[in-house]
Amino acid sequence: MTITAEAANSSSLAANIRAAAVRRFALTDSVFQTLTRLSAALVLVLLGGVAISLVAGAWPALSHFGWAFLVTESWNPVTEKFGALAPIYGTLVTSLIAIVIAVPIGIGIAVFLTELCPRSLRRPIGIAVELLAGIPSIIYGIWGLFVFAPFLQVHLQPFIIKLFHGVPGLSSLFSGPPYGIGLMTSGLILAIMVLPFITSITKDVFDTVPPVLKESAYGIGCTTWEVTRRVVIPYTRVGIMGGVMLGLGRALGETMAVTFVIGNAHRISASLFAPGTTISASIANEFTEADGELYTSSLVALGLILFVITFLILAASRFMLMRIERRAGS
Amino acid sequence: MTQMLSPTSIAASRPVTEEAKLEVRGLNFFYDRTRALKDISLSLPAKSVTAFIGPSGCGKSTLLRVFNRIYELYPKQRAEGEVLLDGRNILDKGQDLNLLRAQVGMVFQKPTPFPMTIYENIAFGIRLYEKLPRSEVDGRVEEALKRAALWTEVKDKLNASGLSLSGGQQQRLCIARTVAVKPEVILLDEPASALDPLSTAKIEELIDELQTDYTIVIVTHNMQQAARVSARTAFMYLGELIEFGDTEEIFTSPHDKRTQDYITGRFG
Repeated sequence: MTITAEAANSSSLAANIRAAAVRRFALTDSVFQTLTRLSAALVLVLLGGVAISLVAGAWPALSHFGWAFLVTESWNPVTEKFGALAPIYGTLVTSLIAIVIAVPIGIGIAVFLTELCPRSLRRPIGIAVELLAGIPSIIYGIWGLFVFAPFLQVHLQPFIIKLFHGVPGLSSLFSGPPYGIGLMTSGLILAIMVLPFITSITKDVFDTVPPVLKESAYGIGCTTWEVTRRVVIPYTRVGIMGGVMLGLGRALGETMAVTFVIGNAHRISASLFAPGTTISASIANEFTEADGELYTSSLVALGLILFVITFLILAASRFMLMRIERRAGS
Repeated sequence: MTQMLSPTSIAASRPVTEEAKLEVRGLNFFYDRTRALKDISLSLPAKSVTAFIGPSGCGKSTLLRVFNRIYELYPKQRAEGEVLLDGRNILDKGQDLNLLRAQVGMVFQKPTPFPMTIYENIAFGIRLYEKLPRSEVDGRVEEALKRAALWTEVKDKLNASGLSLSGGQQQRLCIARTVAVKPEVILLDEPASALDPLSTAKIEELIDELQTDYTIVIVTHNMQQAARVSARTAFMYLGELIEFGDTEEIFTSPHDKRTQDYITGRFG
């Protein structure tokens, strides 16, 4: 009798211990769940907060100028007439130059590293590319201003201006006095800055292509070029697009390096060698001297526009990818 | 069409080796320092099916991968010896690899459709070597899909992605793709091991039909499959060629004890 009672006792004791443990687990579980949920919610709160404060700050300018703010080129602090067209143009053009240059080179480096490079060179080149990403933008800025721009001014720009002289279209794109600084120089600096992002992401996604897929392409007699163009790149297009978008995001928002070499002129010229401005460079240059509510508010409005541009480009790339995916059916 | 790929194949009617399409002489293969093939010599007759069987790691896939030199994609893998395709040593330094791979097609264990449409999967390979008008490419695509017994299933959705097909269909697409390039030899590396029995049966039927025009080499783990599809069988073990002969003889009265043990399921 006592033995069975004891046994029952001890088994109920074990059950109690187990129940306590289960309660403890349930508690830690729910704490953990709440924490992760809060962290996720924080992102939305931050994003919403930034958007709201930008809109609130930009409101005086936007309500004063209306939609004309987007399409007005003049930027005159004295008469307090502000328009965002020149910075928008400069931002888009410099980023476009950067992407047009950096994407092919980045993909080229990635192809070399994954397909052609001798194994002993792979790591050093890969590390060098990553180090390039680690250089602070202020260094690109002073290097751009003191080394790169004078070099372009003396050697490259006069040559290109002469080369395209008289060619319709191109002659106006590459015309005017060689200042050294300007849209083209900023675009080139940006290209260097986004190159490592595009390269390292492209390299990583190239590594995900199954070897047997590449083998079967080589197996019907493809060259490395054909395998890359027809199999590797289509297979990894989503990842490559991601890398390009990351690079583009960086190029659109890059401030310090661009501020040094853009020339800071609020106008739109046909020539890529002319000085211009970008949204972030305008804000950085003028925030300290912005007196008056309208001036400050106009700068905040510029920030809002950059926010929207980045968002739109991201959305557009998503949409584009979705369409490609649907067409490929994968 | 094949003549324009390989001028030498015109002279294929040499009397020396009674219609041997591929002849291997003293072949050794190394993964870095490991010797994976040991002095392999064998001769594969033209327009027939030869099966390589043996336990995992015996070197049968390695041997297959020498025939189109696909192993060259990887550093530290190398082959020594001679492999003669129509009497010409393909291991020569001067051998053009792209040309070789157009002559010696390969189908892998897992289906590997390219990330493009069904039509493009096949037209892609054709266009690599021949500049043809669109209508002619259409014809070649249809012909290849018919040869791979896939035409009736896909003729209404040629613009769908190759990846949208089922596993068995994908594998037949890969065979069609290989056939479309008009190779002389087709290498099949366990082509049905990832497929269900029905698809497997279709692939085997296909192999049977293709041997009228092509020299086929198949690596398989499935001994019944080897017995069903091949005219000759090679049994390999630990990098060595143990026995090579008529399939029927290998499976009914093997000479070597290891062959007998393997085919009766005592190891492997």
